[in-house]
Formats: sequence, structure tokens, C-alpha cells
Amino acid sequence: MGAAQASIIGSEERKANRKAAVAGRSVIFKIKRCDGPGKPWRWESFKVPTEPGSNVISSLNWIASNPVTVDGKETTPVVWDSNCLEEVCGACTMVINGRVRQSCSCLVDEYAPREGDEIVLEPMSKFPVIRDLWVDRSRMFDALQRVKAWVPIDGTYNLGAGPQESHDHQQMRYALSECMTCGCCLDACPQFAEEADPKNWDKNFIGPQAISQARLFNEHGTGKRLKDERMDTLMGPDGIQNCGNAQNCVKVCPKGIPLTESIAAIGRSATVHSVKKFFTSK
Amino acid sequence: MSNTATQQSFMQRNQFLIRRLHSLTGILPIGVFLIAHLVTNSSLAWGWFALKGRHQGEGMSVSEGGVQYFAHEVTWINTQVPHLFLIEVTLWLAIAFHCILGFYYATGGKGNLQHYKHQDNFRYSLQRWSGYFGIFFIFYHIATLRWGWTFLIPEGTAWSHEYSASTLAAALQGSTEGWTAAGLFVSLFYLLGVSLLVFHFANGLWTAAITWGLTVSEHAQKKWGYVCAALGAGLMLAAWSALGSAMLLDYDTARAVEASILDGHSAPAIDHNPAEHALSDEVTLEANASDPEG
Repeated sequence: MGAAQASIIGSEERKANRKAAVAGRSVIFKIKRCDGPGKPWRWESFKVPTEPGSNVISSLNWIASNPVTVDGKETTPVVWDSNCLEEVCGACTMVINGRVRQSCSCLVDEYAPREGDEIVLEPMSKFPVIRDLWVDRSRMFDALQRVKAWVPIDGTYNLGAGPQESHDHQQMRYALSECMTCGCCLDACPQFAEEADPKNWDKNFIGPQAISQARLFNEHGTGKRLKDERMDTLMGPDGIQNCGNAQNCVKVCPKGIPLTESIAAIGRSATVHSVKKFFTSK
Repeated sequence: MSNTATQQSFMQRNQFLIRRLHSLTGILPIGVFLIAHLVTNSSLAWGWFALKGRHQGEGMSVSEGGVQYFAHEVTWINTQVPHLFLIEVTLWLAIAFHCILGFYYATGGKGNLQHYKHQDNFRYSLQRWSGYFGIFFIFYHIATLRWGWTFLIPEGTAWSHEYSASTLAAALQGSTEGWTAAGLFVSLFYLLGVSLLVFHFANGLWTAAITWGLTVSEHAQKKWGYVCAALGAGLMLAAWSALGSAMLLDYDTARAVEASILDGHSAPAIDHNPAEHALSDEVTLEANASDPEG
């Protein structure tokens, strides 16, 4: 999955920064802060000493125990969300220097190699802010429900063994299954709009994350039983057709999931499904 | 009130179909027309060579030969193509549909090129900006050179089918006597407009293959990208050579060639096979349709 990650802009520069990083320096964290939903936001900067291998989360930990801004003003600790600390849960996703990514895997050396360099932290731009860098990502789980991203196995009798799967097909599905619902693809998508009201979520582009998961379960031997229902949702208002092919999604995906291939594959299914429906629907 | 509600729900219900139609109209008829249009116009640049290949146009300069060929093409389109008005109206409707919906879709997105500087993302933004500009350009182009809104042309030289090359040169250069400042502005507007529209078509062809699910793998998308880039480069060359030839064309020279065509023959100057004249009109039409030069 390295290919897509390597395509993230500035990877060469970041590698060079890591080599050039000055030991024992302090860097500035400029953080976009907000006390709660609907409250006004503000910038606050903190001077944070670095350690070998320090990352954004360890720096936020330092700020939490020393919540004093560069102006010497005492403030509240910055709030953020995190869990696994190894880039597999997606909880700590935020916008760092203008680009969305996980903060746990974001090394300070790569972004701020010299004394006084600045790292700008913002919450993700397309999800409602709960507080500071912590956002509510439930819209993505709502989208997964809308496309029925599951395998229908519940019933009153034993369905027996599932169908056999080829190695190649399994490899293809494995790549899609790596999605951790972090939201990077949606935050970078110019077609995916910010929407805080859950009532309006289905009136906005569903986004590459749910499209790719629909493909994952459409390709599953048992999961494909719900394919028609998934396609009806994806071809409904603000479904697959809202993709604008900017292809940012695949470039920011930390798991290197071939999201644009999923979009094209669902586009193909949509072509077939619509012709089928035109001639056979009652 | 309830009327708009049903209208919205109709658009919502058929959103998928309408967007696919938007994609389709960009290729058929608009894209196909664009190819034919640019190839015809670029004959101003290569017409002389085509005549030469048939041992015609002796004693003509390259630009005179271009005018001869181009004028013949224009006359052929206006006299021989059946149901021309129907074709035109279909095109106008398709362009209007594509423009209005495209504008509506494009304003629904929010570009973020400043943070995500990728080539694809740049093309996403340029596709939208070229669309906005293209609407404006196509309107000016059709209004002045088709509908005859001469008040929008510097010095008001009206374009005509009989004097297609010379009046085009006058419209681009700003006057019948050579370049004016307004003419330079019109020419630059044309250069920008036609370049953006060629990009819009080539890039639209690339994204359409993803939309319809023809190019699924990243590799296939890349390969199709090369095909679209090559087509775009070819069309760009046709567009620039057509525009360059019209901009370099001398009004009086072009006028003289056109006058000699109108003078000597009711049909264009290029000789047809004499045997063809004996055939019925319908057969002549078919022969012309397969090869305008007979």
C-alpha cells in the first residue's frame, strides 16, 4: 500500500526535514480552538520542546500538562480524540498544515525541523466540532448504514458454508477492508460538503468512503445479495453521480485504498444496474 | 410553492439519469461537433496542401489555398448537409442543457486546490473554470458569427457564408484594414476560449470513462488519460492553427479568392468529376457527403 502514501505531497521534503532536524529545539503549535458546538473559534499558539521521535499527539500531551500560550496566558488544555496511536483506528485525524491526516503518525521532525518552526493544527473541516480538535464522525457511520455495508447472515436457520473465494479476489477485497472510517478522503473531497444537521446528511454527496465500502460488500459472496439495494441508494439523490473526479480521496487515504477504482467500479455497476432496471423493473 | 417542490423532487428523483445525460451530451453531440468544427476551421491552415495533393490551386499562396479550401467546406456545409437547421437546434439545446446543469453542479462543489495541490485536483478546478468561461465564449461566438449580432464585433463587420474567411479575419483583427486594439482583444479572447474548451472536452472525456465505469483500474485510467491527452493536443493544434491562420489572413486577399469562387461558379471552384454531373442530385449529394472535394 506504499504507493499511494508515497504520493502524498512533500514526502521527499519530509524525509529531508527528518534528517536535518535540530535536537533539543522548541517548536510552535498554532491550534484552532473552539469551546463547543456553535461557539466561536480562536487561534492559540504553544511553544513545545521536542524529544527524539516526538509526534503531534505527544506534543498535545505536553500542552495538556502545560496549558500556557506563547503570550504567557494560562488557558484550558486542548481537547483531541485518539485511541490506537498506530494509525489504524482513525480517531486522531485532523488537519495539519492544511492537509488532513492522522496526528499520531505525524512526526514533529518532519514538519518542523528548526527552532521556532510552526505546526498548524485544525479540526477536520467537514465534520461538526465537539471541542477543539475533536470532531463528531458519526455521519460516516450513518452513510455505512445507508449503503447496508454488511453481510446479511441473520436468520432462523443455518445458511451453510459461504461461497469459495479466489486468492486474487480476496486480495482485492482485503485492500478495501482496510478502511478505518477516519474521514481523510471526505475532508479532502471538494464535492463533500460540511453538514452538521443529521437530517440533511442524505441530501449531500455520500462520499468515497461509503462508496468503497459498498463495493467491498457487493464483492462479497454473501454480501452481494444486498447489491441491488445498495445500488439504489448509491444511484439515488447525491449518490455516486456527485463525484467530481478530483481524485483527492485516493491521495490522502492513509491506508492506500484504491478509492477512485471503487468509484469507477460502482459507476460501472450503476451503468449496468440502470439498464437492467429500465428493462426489468415493475 | 408546491409546484417548485414537485420540480425539485423531479430533479432529485432523476438526478442520476440527468447527470449521466450531462456526461453524454458533452461527448454526443457537443464533443463530436467540436472535432468536426475544429478540423474544418483548421483547413485554413492545411487547405493549400490538400489542394496541392490533388494538383489544384496552382499559383495560389498558402493562405489563398487555405481560403479556397475553407470557403468550399463552408459552402458545402451550408448547401449540402441535410436538415442543417435541425442539427443546429439540437446542438444549441444540447449545449444549453450541458451549460445550465454544469453551472449548477460546479457551484455545488468547493475547490480546495490551495491545500491539495495534485494534478487531478487542478484539472477538477480547471474543468469548472473552463466551463464558466466556455459558456461566455460560446455565447459570444454564436451571437457574433452565427446570429449576426454585429454590435458585439469591433467595427461591426458581419460574418457571411459567402465571404466566410475574409469576414472571419475582419472579426478577429478588428477591422477590414488590419489590426486594431479591439481586434487584438477579440483574438486573445478566442485563443483563451477555444483552448479552455478543448481542455474541457479532453478532460471531460477522461472523467466520463470513470463516470460510466469504462476505466476502473488506476492503470486503465492512466492509459485512457494518455489517449485523451493526445486527442486534446491534436485538437489544440487544430484550434490554434485555425485561429492563427485567420489572424494572419489578409482581408483583401481572402476577399479576392472568395469573389472568384462566387463569380465563376454557382458551385465552388473546385472541379468535380464531370461524370458526377450526369448523375442525379441525390447521388451527387452522397458523393459529396463521403468526400467534400468530389
